[in-house]
Amino acid sequence: MALLNETAAAINSATTPRVNAKLNLEFAYDQAKQTTILQESSSNPPLKVIRAFQIADGAALVHLHNVSGGLLGDDRLAMSVRLAENAKIQITTTGATRIYRARESATPATQQTEITLAENAFLEYLPDPIIPYAHARYSQQTTIHLAKNAGLFWWEILAPGREAHGELFAYDSVEMKTDIIAQGQKIARERIQLNPKKFALDSPTRLGPYRYWATFYICKQGPAPAEWQALENKLRETASEFPTPNETRWGISTLPAHGVVCRCLSMRGRDAIQGLHHLWRTAKQSLYNAEAIPPRKVN
Amino acid sequence: MEKESPNANQPELAYLQLLHLADSAFPIGALSHSFGLETLVAANQLSPKSLELFLQGYLEEAGATEAVFCREAAKLANESATNFPIERWREINETLSALKPARESRNGSASLGRNFLRAVLAVSENKILRQALEAAENSPAHSIENSPAFGLACGALKFDEDAIVLAYLHQWTANSVSAVQRLSPLGQTQATQILWNLKPAMLEAANRSAKLSPDNLSCFTPMLDWGAMEHPALTTRLFIS
Repeated sequence: MALLNETAAAINSATTPRVNAKLNLEFAYDQAKQTTILQESSSNPPLKVIRAFQIADGAALVHLHNVSGGLLGDDRLAMSVRLAENAKIQITTTGATRIYRARESATPATQQTEITLAENAFLEYLPDPIIPYAHARYSQQTTIHLAKNAGLFWWEILAPGREAHGELFAYDSVEMKTDIIAQGQKIARERIQLNPKKFALDSPTRLGPYRYWATFYICKQGPAPAEWQALENKLRETASEFPTPNETRWGISTLPAHGVVCRCLSMRGRDAIQGLHHLWRTAKQSLYNAEAIPPRKVN
Repeated sequence: MEKESPNANQPELAYLQLLHLADSAFPIGALSHSFGLETLVAANQLSPKSLELFLQGYLEEAGATEAVFCREAAKLANESATNFPIERWREINETLSALKPARESRNGSASLGRNFLRAVLAVSENKILRQALEAAENSPAHSIENSPAFGLACGALKFDEDAIVLAYLHQWTANSVSAVQRLSPLGQTQATQILWNLKPAMLEAANRSAKLSPDNLSCFTPMLDWGAMEHPALTTRLFIS
């Protein structure tokens, strides 16, 4: 697929950004209270986190707000999340990430995310889908560093567009770069550039007949390779019980080390989301003997 | 055992050696892998009718990606006349491995890569290849992926870089067509036609790979990935992956 490398292009562009927002969050573990606290928080619009909520397992929950409602061309958003030793957090969004139509002269909206987990830290990153509108141009880059015994549940869902408006893959481009690095070892890497007008997404190699694509990383330093293999089998068994297997396909596999990845191809967004929640529950029970607690907006 | 390949001044010999190394009959086990195609055929997501379009998409995405790493390794061999950069070699393989979501495909590629270097060393001793193989054998976490192994070996033997990449892509495409022939009613004539028709796509993938690097490439093959990830769940299997 043609090289866009839009993150770098946008960052290097001489164009003045419409929005240049940064959100920095630092979480620490309060030993006395046995809870995680939001120790440092700084942001400028449209990114915002109002407060951290405590959830039943002692983790902190934060909702990411984009007060402008979505991303426009020339927007440049950056988010840094740091978890100190033993901190446990859950991050979600208040709604879908909407990528609006970009003006012809605009550079792609960009979102850069840098997440660092110190020893024994634990992150659940459970956002709503990304919806690129017609003629949207978007580029995101996510880097996650895991220290010893750090744990991660991280998913991402890409919608085909505003289906109710009849928009299917009507966006101009979407670029997604992801790196997960565990104690210096690259354990997962994605380099995706979607340009539906040049390269058909309904190709039998790409999405075929499906519309939604999701990826779910389950990582933890510590378990032996055989334990990851066992989790792969267990998650596959869980996915095999989902309804409508021909309308939603799940692929499950161990990573080169320290984790499992689940991939989803689906006709419907809600099937992908429900499936992700099921797999999350199964994996959390297996790895931590703990219940997956859905973000408060859900229950 | 022969001495290091002396083909720099013998382009005809180099051409014959490259043909030999890119032959699907080269004994590394490539014919035992479908890299997910078996699952797609079993799920009626891939048929003789859709194979050419499927492989076109493959070449645009994963083909160009593998070509980037093949090219990187060929360059590494050319730049390593005196001291082989083991850390860079490890990084190339680790990066490609991290891009592959399916365990069986990753393991298959690592098996073919290691077998390839061993097979080349069995017919033509080479210091660079020996160091590359030993570096991996001394470190269990160090894989040798197939496309970098092909690039490194052919680079060490001083073949032309573009020819190396094209030979790799042609070999991979031919192996894929062969796998589908064994999985579905795809006749020899139709298979030959498909492989013939895909040569411009191979050329395009090779050309594009020359402008890319391991960091700015793109690979989006979710159907192929699904097939490769779910291959372990097939009840009857002809292939290892």
